[in-house]
Amino acid sequence: MREVSFGQYYPANSFVHKCDPRTKILFLIAYIVAVFLAQNFYALGACAAVFILIAAFSGVKISSLLRSVKAITFLLVFTALLNLFFHSGETVLVQWWIITITQEAVYFTIFLAVRLFLLVLSSAILTLTTTPVALTDGIESLLKPLKWIRFPVHELALIMSIALRFIPILTDETGRIMNAQKARGADFETGGLVKRVKAIIPILIPLIISAFRRADELGDAMDARCYSGSKVRTKYKKLTFSWRDLLAFFVVGALIAGIVLLRIYTAAVI
Amino acid sequence: MNALIKLPTAERKYKPKKHESSKTVLRVDGFDLTDKTTDFKALRKKVGMVFQYPEYQLFAETVFEDVAFGLKNFDSALLTEEVRAAVKDALTVVGLDYDEVKNRSPFELSGGQKRRVAIAGVIVTKPEILVLDEPAAGLDPLGKEETMRLLHSLHEKWCKTVIIVSHDMDEIAENCTRAAIFAEGKVIGIGTPKELFSSDEITKAAGLDVPFTAKVTEKLKTLGVEISSDFTTADFIEKTLKRAKTGGAGMRLPKNGGQENA
Repeated sequence: MREVSFGQYYPANSFVHKCDPRTKILFLIAYIVAVFLAQNFYALGACAAVFILIAAFSGVKISSLLRSVKAITFLLVFTALLNLFFHSGETVLVQWWIITITQEAVYFTIFLAVRLFLLVLSSAILTLTTTPVALTDGIESLLKPLKWIRFPVHELALIMSIALRFIPILTDETGRIMNAQKARGADFETGGLVKRVKAIIPILIPLIISAFRRADELGDAMDARCYSGSKVRTKYKKLTFSWRDLLAFFVVGALIAGIVLLRIYTAAVI
Repeated sequence: MNALIKLPTAERKYKPKKHESSKTVLRVDGFDLTDKTTDFKALRKKVGMVFQYPEYQLFAETVFEDVAFGLKNFDSALLTEEVRAAVKDALTVVGLDYDEVKNRSPFELSGGQKRRVAIAGVIVTKPEILVLDEPAAGLDPLGKEETMRLLHSLHEKWCKTVIIVSHDMDEIAENCTRAAIFAEGKVIGIGTPKELFSSDEITKAAGLDVPFTAKVTEKLKTLGVEISSDFTTADFIEKTLKRAKTGGAGMRLPKNGGQENA
């Protein structure tokens, strides 16, 4: 339960930490586009190189980065196996019983695994180097144009920051409830799928009830402090761009340009 | 403290930390927690745990179902009749009317009733040892008193040992036969409440308050009256009255002081 590193800020004073959250969000979006534009290992290599560069300047420990991958290990292995066995190709490497593994499938599998890795790790860098507050401030600022069509941007940002804030609280709560039910002899580790799913009910129901209780309390506390939405609110911390952000835009621009060139001049793997 | 009372729910083998020698022993009533093969389910059956705010663990549709949950977990071979009898016993012991509450949703009960249902859900398996973490937290004075009365009757009828974790020293002085003081993960004092609250050093070191009776005793001492009680209200009053009747020296109080024990 505790492996979820999403929304967990890693405090440090690095280049990436000091970047404007808007830059980091836009950078991540552009980077994800780049990863999806990559068609072969050269392009993917360029993406990986940029990632390593960012990670090196982020001051985040490798172990906390890898923790974010842990959560998707199962997904990673599962899709890798499916791709390996079911992706069609011509050059057969192994053929045994009903299993056929082709060279194309091997390439494809590696390619997708690396892509998934990069996606998860780059998103993790964003949440590890940006406080939830800065993140929602950034999103709010980026969505500002939508205010023009009366989209509740501020409210959306508020909902997001509350949701992020509540992840660790609810994780703790889950641990507490699990202990309480375990003390009453509940068993979450053994038995078949149906039995295990049933075993979750005594955790899930108290958890949902407690989430509603906390939401009520938070709403009351906000009312008590006269919170009234976006109309007249000013900001404590104003976001400003600096030379770091310019540099970041330059890096991601170069990456996308490079990958587009690679798309035109080199052959695709997928 | 927290880690300690959670031990019975520990999942895997307890791993000794680096600074601890390999001889470290962690045993609860014969169950070795450092051994992988220990039957944790049997341990949990023997040691009932009531965590803080136990009413937050309620989940079932009816009070009956919720109380029966633990029972069915520990012994799936029980007959419906036996389950019903045990649930009825448990609800009656915690002071609820079985016929009135059994089919109600636990969520529509009052806070105090919810807590009783939750406690019933733990004691329904008749554990030998019952551990409660701040059982009276968040209750009004009357609720606190009722909870303590409930624990005393449980101790008489069902559970050989009842252990409570509390920050309320009056609660400890009134109700406990033995107490241990924890500070920063270490036991810094263990003994009867009388021994513990007589020694200033221990309570001060742990940053603890002392019971009201101990405060009065302390004040009387500065006025030259020494009363040796076990710090329960009843015993304190008895000893004070006795002292007043025999009229020992110093029992005539100074004009401006000592009103608090008048």
